[in-house]
Amino acid sequence: MRLALTGAGSFLGSRLLPRLAEARGADGVVAIDVGPPPAAAPVRFRRVDLTEPASDQRLLDAFRDEEVDTVVHLAFFTSPRKDATYAHELESIGSLNVFAAAAAAGVRHVVLRSWTAVYGARGENPNYLTEDMPLRPAAGLAWMREKLEAEQHAAAFARRYPDMAVTVLRMAALFGPGVRTFYTRIFDRRVLPVVMGYDPLVQLLHPEDALGALEAALARPEGGAFNVVPRWPIPLLSALHLAEKVPLPVAHPVAYAGADLLWAAGVGQAPGGFVDYVRFPFVADGAKARRALGFTARHSSRDALCAYLAYRHPGPAGDRAEPAAVQTIEAGA
Amino acid sequence: MSGRGKVVRMRPRAAEARPDASAHEAERLRRRVLELEDSLRRQGPLFALARLLGAGKRGLSWENLARLWSAMYFSWHSEETDAFGYDRKFTEAVMPIFEFLYTVWWRVEAAGVEAVPASGPGLIVANHSGVLPYDGLMIRLAVRHEHPARRETRLLALDMFALLPFLAPLLQRTGAVRASQENGERLLREGELVGVFPEGVKGVGKPFKHRYQLARFGRGGFVRLALRTGAPLVPCAVVGAEEIHPNLATANWIGRPLGLPYLPVTPTFPALGPLGFVPLPTKWTIDFAEPVDVAGYGPEGADDPILVNRLSEQVRGTIQRMLDGRLARRRSIWFG
Repeated sequence: MRLALTGAGSFLGSRLLPRLAEARGADGVVAIDVGPPPAAAPVRFRRVDLTEPASDQRLLDAFRDEEVDTVVHLAFFTSPRKDATYAHELESIGSLNVFAAAAAAGVRHVVLRSWTAVYGARGENPNYLTEDMPLRPAAGLAWMREKLEAEQHAAAFARRYPDMAVTVLRMAALFGPGVRTFYTRIFDRRVLPVVMGYDPLVQLLHPEDALGALEAALARPEGGAFNVVPRWPIPLLSALHLAEKVPLPVAHPVAYAGADLLWAAGVGQAPGGFVDYVRFPFVADGAKARRALGFTARHSSRDALCAYLAYRHPGPAGDRAEPAAVQTIEAGA
Repeated sequence: MSGRGKVVRMRPRAAEARPDASAHEAERLRRRVLELEDSLRRQGPLFALARLLGAGKRGLSWENLARLWSAMYFSWHSEETDAFGYDRKFTEAVMPIFEFLYTVWWRVEAAGVEAVPASGPGLIVANHSGVLPYDGLMIRLAVRHEHPARRETRLLALDMFALLPFLAPLLQRTGAVRASQENGERLLREGELVGVFPEGVKGVGKPFKHRYQLARFGRGGFVRLALRTGAPLVPCAVVGAEEIHPNLATANWIGRPLGLPYLPVTPTFPALGPLGFVPLPTKWTIDFAEPVDVAGYGPEGADDPILVNRLSEQVRGTIQRMLDGRLARRRSIWFG
């Protein structure tokens, strides 16, 4: 019985592969992507393009031939994209195909990577979102809408096929060594627009913790949705302070319009819907993952940020970013 | 970060070697270009432009302006907050303002603070008034200064304050949390002392002629909170706060389109402009009553609406009695 990994070439996928290969043997892991995995991970490989019309049949063949009983689905875009149709084909329809093929092949456990941003950032959110909160991502953000659809497919298949456990891992924004997403591209600027009069708490997840959560989820094939979050959140402005940014306060109506304009002009990194996520909180509660998966993040948001700064600015600037001894109270620890 | 580049550039110029001036100048230009290229790549075009414009002016450079601006912008942040964004350093920095209000401006007298549990969870339930949430702050100071355990009260802030730009981050930094069942339950389960105002918007926006008449206590959310967590309810009556901003009328036709639940008209606001925000120096008293222990009903009591309403009315009656008693003994609004 083997484990299949879709999106094996993604950031998390390429880092998870060697770990899985070590744990299960290189022969026990099947990488599925449009390109072969790095030579460093000598695992089995199947070339399937999830955006092709017949990809579900090809996936089914792959799952049956390789005797797959566990699927980790990581084939998602980590940044908003202009070609919304392609993103829809890959993320929403691609997930549908993965679930359909997994159900038909009798796969026992599917792990889906998701985002805490699917809850949507709102002023009236409780400070800590639990997994049973409704999923209402920002209306103007197709990037998150596709993730929501993938989650809806996951929930539908979990209902229809009770024998197939579906674990959904809603991860906070990744920040750390090697991470290159639109978050970090925005963050690399010295002058950063901030929404005037708002300072939400944000969660930055260290990639090590994301991988740890994936492994924990694979170890307990019970199914359900889990928030994967860092130990502590950090106020957005404190994060900018730590990174020595120059804040450029923008009134929020201007911020939405400006972001949309820059996005339409091809300069911006994200459409206006993203402004919600730097204006309002969407902090998730990691208690369920701690209870059911036995997963506890080792890094705080501050650690993740400092690790990222040290990675981006090695040398003397990195020393400054060493995490100091932090006296903080943890909620629901 | 980029300031280091500048320092590196200035030093060789200071130790300039005389003989080979033209070669040196070329080297300097080459460095300038490299530096600009580097800043363009690393920090984006805006900052590169700023460097270009500010290059060469000794003190008044864009770099220094940017640093100054960041320092100003971040000066009121410390980097360490708790899980709800409570920033102790910032709170201690602004505390003197509230301590002035507490001791000098309103001369607060607190009675029965010992009723507040010295440890473990507790829910202080108080009347709400005064247009702006000063009463919560004063309750917090009363517990902080008069109670032997010197406890901090985490206030549950109304949506109208907790969602207001500029005020929202301030409240978060000083330890207030947006009022909701989830937030309240989480704080109480951690053993925090929590302050709530069940009157809500109806309380702060109360017309002057209805002062010290408690509005309806919501739907008993605070009782359900206490029942679910077993936290004792501490009724608390604040006298004096209802006169600091006498609310003569509400101009909702202006307030609503601005996203405010009401817009108060007081003798000083909006007639005197910003001066209208100065609260009147009334004399305050804060009374705490014996706590109501609800642990005996168990968490399932939260699903019994009759019990919830009975406890809610009991607490409301206690607060109203304390208010009436104080008002009967009070001779002057200004001197108590």
